[in-house]
Amino acid sequence: MSLEELDTDLAAGVDHQVAMVMDLNKCIGCQTCTVGCKTTWTEREGTEYMYWNNVETRPGEGYPKDWEEKGGGWESPERSSVKNGELPGKEEYGEAWEFNYEEALSDPQNETLEPKGVDPEWGPNWDEDQGSGKHPNSQYFYLPRICNHCTHPTCVEACPRQAIYKRAEDGIVLVDQERCRGYRYCVEGCPYKKVYYNAAKKSSEKCIFCYPRLEGEGPDGEVSGPICAEECPTQLRLVGFLDDQDGPIYKLVEQYEVAIPLHPEYETAPNVFYIPPFDAPPQIDENGETTDIDRIPSSYLEELFGERVHEARETLRREREKVNRGGSSEVMDILTSKNPAQQYRLEVFDA
Amino acid sequence: MTDRSIALPIIAVAVLVIGSAVVFPSLAAAVPANQVPVTYQPDAGNELATPSGDAWSDVDAREIPLTSAPSGLPEASIVNTEAVEVKTAHTDSELYVWLQWEDQTRNTSEGSLDSFTDGAAVQVPANVTTSPTVELGSQDSPVNLWYWTAAEGPEEALAGGYNPGSITTMENATIETNALYQDGTWTVVMERSLVTDDQARADFDSDQDIDIAFAVWDGDNAERAGHHAYSEWYTIPLGPEETGPAAQYLLWAVAGVGIVIALLLVARTRGGN
Repeated sequence: MSLEELDTDLAAGVDHQVAMVMDLNKCIGCQTCTVGCKTTWTEREGTEYMYWNNVETRPGEGYPKDWEEKGGGWESPERSSVKNGELPGKEEYGEAWEFNYEEALSDPQNETLEPKGVDPEWGPNWDEDQGSGKHPNSQYFYLPRICNHCTHPTCVEACPRQAIYKRAEDGIVLVDQERCRGYRYCVEGCPYKKVYYNAAKKSSEKCIFCYPRLEGEGPDGEVSGPICAEECPTQLRLVGFLDDQDGPIYKLVEQYEVAIPLHPEYETAPNVFYIPPFDAPPQIDENGETTDIDRIPSSYLEELFGERVHEARETLRREREKVNRGGSSEVMDILTSKNPAQQYRLEVFDA
Repeated sequence: MTDRSIALPIIAVAVLVIGSAVVFPSLAAAVPANQVPVTYQPDAGNELATPSGDAWSDVDAREIPLTSAPSGLPEASIVNTEAVEVKTAHTDSELYVWLQWEDQTRNTSEGSLDSFTDGAAVQVPANVTTSPTVELGSQDSPVNLWYWTAAEGPEEALAGGYNPGSITTMENATIETNALYQDGTWTVVMERSLVTDDQARADFDSDQDIDIAFAVWDGDNAERAGHHAYSEWYTIPLGPEETGPAAQYLLWAVAGVGIVIALLLVARTRGGN
């Protein structure tokens, strides 16, 4: 198939584009993805504070704190200039505290588990499960985030040394560690704050979409998906090429338009897409009766995912209704598939 | 008109012309435009290598105005350093460049997520017979950068323009630097051999002028990469001719007065006949 026939816009000079769809309705906030990523990639000096994959509670401040207020991204849909961004400080990411495991586990009656020698005021997931609203109408959901490997990445545009680039074969955004001088314009330029400065190495680092695993350097020397996806207990992530028309990602994103990017207004064209929450129970009134008011305000979801979130949620409800009536729905089949070969289109990476 | 009445105005004019040439700097700068004074101090190498070395007290300084470099980077037009004081000296084998600038904050580390280091750079043509653009030269006419940061010390690079990727760090830096921060002021000395055996590095003959430009980064203002203050090209007059504007004005003034006197004398001689 020629590219002209695709709905997908690929970045110039890129043959294919890796993509991920995350179904937020399945995320239980267990952080297994976070830990899998952490132990695989960021247990080195200078990376202690980094979570290339993080899961944040929404509504909430996020990681780093208030990242949506820190600028970056394109000024306008014409993508002619990058919006100036701010560098988050260590206190906004949170320190990698040492915990008193030994004391707390050997003497649980008298010791509580806590960071040693510090009195922190913020950290990753400081506001975990806080959400908003009051009982019985409190609400929150989890938002897992990795680098979006954007089609029009402003981290790449911001770098004065061309040290950060999109890989031609699959569109993965990588920092050339030899070229990088640690100027951090990429950190400022990324509106999702998914590039991190390693102060020990004096260079910036980021999610690499586990490319060595895609290239067959995973466990047992086989091609495997990113660790965050494969480790997920609820298997909420789909992995493949966006431009693979036979794959589930293309269908969810381009055909049914139920998977949508986070903050499309940043204009970077992310390649991580989300199935938005669409089935929260409605709010309850003072008499304990259910109402027809959305528990998660749709205006809040629009803030995160843009106007298309409404249409996407409508489609999801409609498709589920079809199945409930005994019909069939390709969307629901994809979202409930337990076939790893469907979730991870690994053969496209092996080509 | 008597001889005396002719001679007096002539002398007055001569004094006025010569005096104004010497006194008014606009007519005759003490140092020619865009020139950095240099002294030859063959035996003072050790002292010249340190920012507070006594030998520097005998060397004239030149205050060089700095402006923001046109890099296009965010906030690039806002730089904190307005000027750098420069002195230069050489021995038979080494060139020393002394830089001093005001900086209220001493930033010596890039060891936290949002910290940047103070720094300074000297730029010379990679080939001293060429005249590269001051904006990091070009592919055809590259420049050498002698780069010092408070965090990392000295580094040398070869650059060929502002386009990304044009700056190449040179292995085995041949410059040495010494820095001192005191009372809100950085003083840095950069030292390099006049001659190297590397084609990519500038070689200085002791009888040839050196084009030189300067840059300063204030880490406190998050200045890094192309976001910095920089100067125009200046010249270190190592060459044989030191006939800058001051000397030229003086010579023209003397010659002019001489011509006037000669003409008057000729007229008087003819009148006398």
